[in-house]
Amino acid sequence: MMRAWPVIPAMFLALGGLSAVAGYEMAPPRAAAWHEIVWPFPRDGWPAGRAFHCGAAECGADAEVYLRPKLGFCNCDSGVADDDEVDRVADVDMISPRFAPLRAGDVVDVADMPGRIRVYRLDGSRTAIGIAVSHRCDLMAVAAQGRGDAARVQRATLAFLGSQEIRNWMTAALEGR
Amino acid sequence: MGGRVTAVCCTFLVVLLANAASAQQKIGDPPEASNMKLVGTNDLQARSAYQPTIHHQGDKWIAYIGHHGGTDDIPDPVNPMTGKPEPNGTSIVDVTDPAHPRYLRHITGQEGRYEAGGAQMVRVCDGKDLPKGDRNAVYMLRTFGSEAHEIWNVADPAYPVLVTRIGEGLKDTHKNFWECNTGIAYLVSGAPDWRTRRMTQIYDLSDPAHPVKIRDFGLPGQEPGATGAVPTELHGPISTGPKGNRVYFGYGTNKGGFLQIVDRDKLLNGPKEPTPDNLTFPEIARMPLSAMNGAHTVFPMPAMPIAEFARDKDGKTRDIVMIVDEAIQNECGEARQMVWFADVTTEARPMMISSYTVPEASGAFCERGGRFGSHSSNESMAPVYYKKLAFIAFFNAGVRVLDIRDPYHPREVGYFIPSITSATDKRCLTIDGKERCKVAIQTNNVETDERGYIYAVDRANTGLHILELTGAARAVAGLP
Repeated sequence: MMRAWPVIPAMFLALGGLSAVAGYEMAPPRAAAWHEIVWPFPRDGWPAGRAFHCGAAECGADAEVYLRPKLGFCNCDSGVADDDEVDRVADVDMISPRFAPLRAGDVVDVADMPGRIRVYRLDGSRTAIGIAVSHRCDLMAVAAQGRGDAARVQRATLAFLGSQEIRNWMTAALEGR
Repeated sequence: MGGRVTAVCCTFLVVLLANAASAQQKIGDPPEASNMKLVGTNDLQARSAYQPTIHHQGDKWIAYIGHHGGTDDIPDPVNPMTGKPEPNGTSIVDVTDPAHPRYLRHITGQEGRYEAGGAQMVRVCDGKDLPKGDRNAVYMLRTFGSEAHEIWNVADPAYPVLVTRIGEGLKDTHKNFWECNTGIAYLVSGAPDWRTRRMTQIYDLSDPAHPVKIRDFGLPGQEPGATGAVPTELHGPISTGPKGNRVYFGYGTNKGGFLQIVDRDKLLNGPKEPTPDNLTFPEIARMPLSAMNGAHTVFPMPAMPIAEFARDKDGKTRDIVMIVDEAIQNECGEARQMVWFADVTTEARPMMISSYTVPEASGAFCERGGRFGSHSSNESMAPVYYKKLAFIAFFNAGVRVLDIRDPYHPREVGYFIPSITSATDKRCLTIDGKERCKVAIQTNNVETDERGYIYAVDRANTGLHILELTGAARAVAGLP
């Protein structure tokens, strides 16, 4: 009995440590962990947007996010109606023209804009996230890619999109500013 | 010295502001015109208009005009003939006397605002021309909002009768084409299981009461079950029928567009299962536009004699396709949408040869409000204008008349910008979180009849303007 007492705090310490590690891994990276990079895609019908990179140390896996407004590209009444629309508009095809959905998408809310999010498998071990959210007749298209666990890339991407700086930029961009 | 500089700057600023202000239309201002004049108008019950189709039936000339859905302010305008609010649909107007058009009937469309409602598209065929039609009938094919297509018997245009409805549960509809001599119809639809809002459902409507589906058609990647990138959506096709054996498809609206040239016989009689191979089978060529332009209308003009090439041993005539982009953003918020001419004589190697746009500075059109840029052309192939003059709907720059006899060098020879009225709807931008609106004409579509009258309709609810050519433009057409 006497010998058991130092084991209990040790167990608490060990569990606490594990929780801390898990918590660190699960916690969304801070927006500051994302660094803006040059828009990496060739010119297409829409003006270039903004691109950001987050390293494995901050995001748990290398991840990149590409976002840009598509003004006048959305059904003014129904918004982003279905997964097919996410396939069409979310710019995942810029990363690779060959992408396949891992499963049906989900509804999502980004910066108070409703839309849909879907996870894709790209060539090799890469994962992509496509997000399309709408404001009136306009659309914010978001594509993200990363290596490894899709859920982690998705979590990191959504946390980044929820940061005040990016929310402000999206609002301004959808006004054509 | 400083005072002088300030004075000069202020004067310059005042002049700039005055120019911008004067560019905006005001109620009561006269129309702006060159070599065109107004013959008659109809307000179309202040409904936003898309396709006008003018049909000669018996001793009458009837205009069938498709409408977009209503606006946020007035979702269902009141029909003065019934006294009731009605969702926008199809206007039927007797234009036998173009100076006094007579509104006959409004057929209601799908409930819904802007592009989500109404009945935008309309084509008309006589029953006597269709292989299995009722000889006494006149059939009007129209879209019903985004969800279906309908055929009406409009033999008595004041009392249309619904014949049938096609394709329930669609994701969208748009700019259909109907061959009157065969009954083959290319219905722009969004089949529920396809990955695009707009592809083609081909029907045999030779007996309009009994539609027979032939096949679904689109681009590889749009078909059910495909993965990866989805090609841009269809805007509309135009067929040259069995004689020409070509169907020209225009894809895109204001971005990433292209012209697709398709072998009609292979399209109708080839393998029909929507696999990538079967969808590619009838395609002869695809010509991409810039990523900054789309293709609303692709208007074929085969075997055009080119005067400049008359003494050449080869290539005296050229097969030309006129491609019209659609502007969709207000106040120049996108790349310029305009008109392009492609030489498709060697079909596998189509080549863009010329272009046309309204000079923006000629009317400060980016300041006027609403859209500036092209939307559509007339599609009548009646001899009066075919291969001689083209009429382009250019939103706030009205209707523009092009001399296209030499498509390598198209030349504007006239224009007409209608006046706004109290019915003309505003067009708004959001600036710093606040709406800023302007009112401007938004000429959306234009069509011609065999007599030579030109019918322009307005997207911003200003109605129908019936025009005729004067001066040099009239001379190009050889009209007295």
